[in-house]
Amino acid sequence: MGAEVDHVSPMGMSGGSAEGNDKSEGQRFSCKNKLTALVVDNGGVCRAIQTALLRSYGVETEAVETGEAAVQLIASGATFNLIIIEMLLPVLNGPETARQIRAMGAQSKILGITAFFDERHQQEFLAAGADGFIEKPLSPEIVIPIIWELDNYM
Amino acid sequence: MDRNHLKRQVDFMKRSFLDQGYLDEQFIQLEELQDDDNPNFVEEIVTLFFNDSARLLQNIEQALVSGPIDFPSLDNYMHQFKGSSSSIGAKRVKNECTRFKEYCTAGNAEGCLRTFVQVKQEHAILKTKLETYFQLAKQAGPSGTSGGQIR
Repeated sequence: MGAEVDHVSPMGMSGGSAEGNDKSEGQRFSCKNKLTALVVDNGGVCRAIQTALLRSYGVETEAVETGEAAVQLIASGATFNLIIIEMLLPVLNGPETARQIRAMGAQSKILGITAFFDERHQQEFLAAGADGFIEKPLSPEIVIPIIWELDNYM
Repeated sequence: MDRNHLKRQVDFMKRSFLDQGYLDEQFIQLEELQDDDNPNFVEEIVTLFFNDSARLLQNIEQALVSGPIDFPSLDNYMHQFKGSSSSIGAKRVKNECTRFKEYCTAGNAEGCLRTFVQVKQEHAILKTKLETYFQLAKQAGPSGTSGGQIR
């Protein structure tokens, strides 16, 4: 599907599988600790879907439309375990947003996300301090290992 | 003709959309997110998608017909359109977006115009199919589109 994640190696999960969202197994994967996430995307559909997906795993999730709003939120003291940032944001683009967030000392896991995977964009994001870069859609296969890792290595 | 029969029809319709490539696994993921707290999540998201995408398609259309083509703008609109299309599992629409992007990147106006016709067509077809699907699902009653049952 063109999903490119640089750092994540799905860890062996004792309690279930990456397909833990299969309701017929009776259990949806859920994090045990309080985890927080921020979605930064100028598209309403993507914002809504990514937010719903993260929340379904028990992650308290907020969403903003612009890089500037994300930077302001963090400047005001908000912290997030995970920040997902769209590449092509107007004004402050994805990598620049990531750069400014890192410059404020945020230790969050930052994931760049895009509609069309592009190596240049990947390099830009990683150089700006992002931990990974993937192509939409944000899927359980990608996000469950990330949440699991955050949950178990807090 | 009971509710179970309608539910089976709904499931059958969804399976055919998947088999024919109109939708992909991502749509199933959206249905997994539907629950008692969010009983109409998928329909709401899909409605939002068709509202948003109508605007984006109009922007693309404008950019294609007015004067010398601004390829970076086209690229931007298509980026957002493809992002949301892939996020709802609109597989055929997404594939046409990818074709469009190739022409756009190459600065090929003719190719963009041609492919855009396909993009609009697939978009319109999917809209009709999903409208029918949700209508049928409503008739089937609450959780007519039960997530996770079609694999």
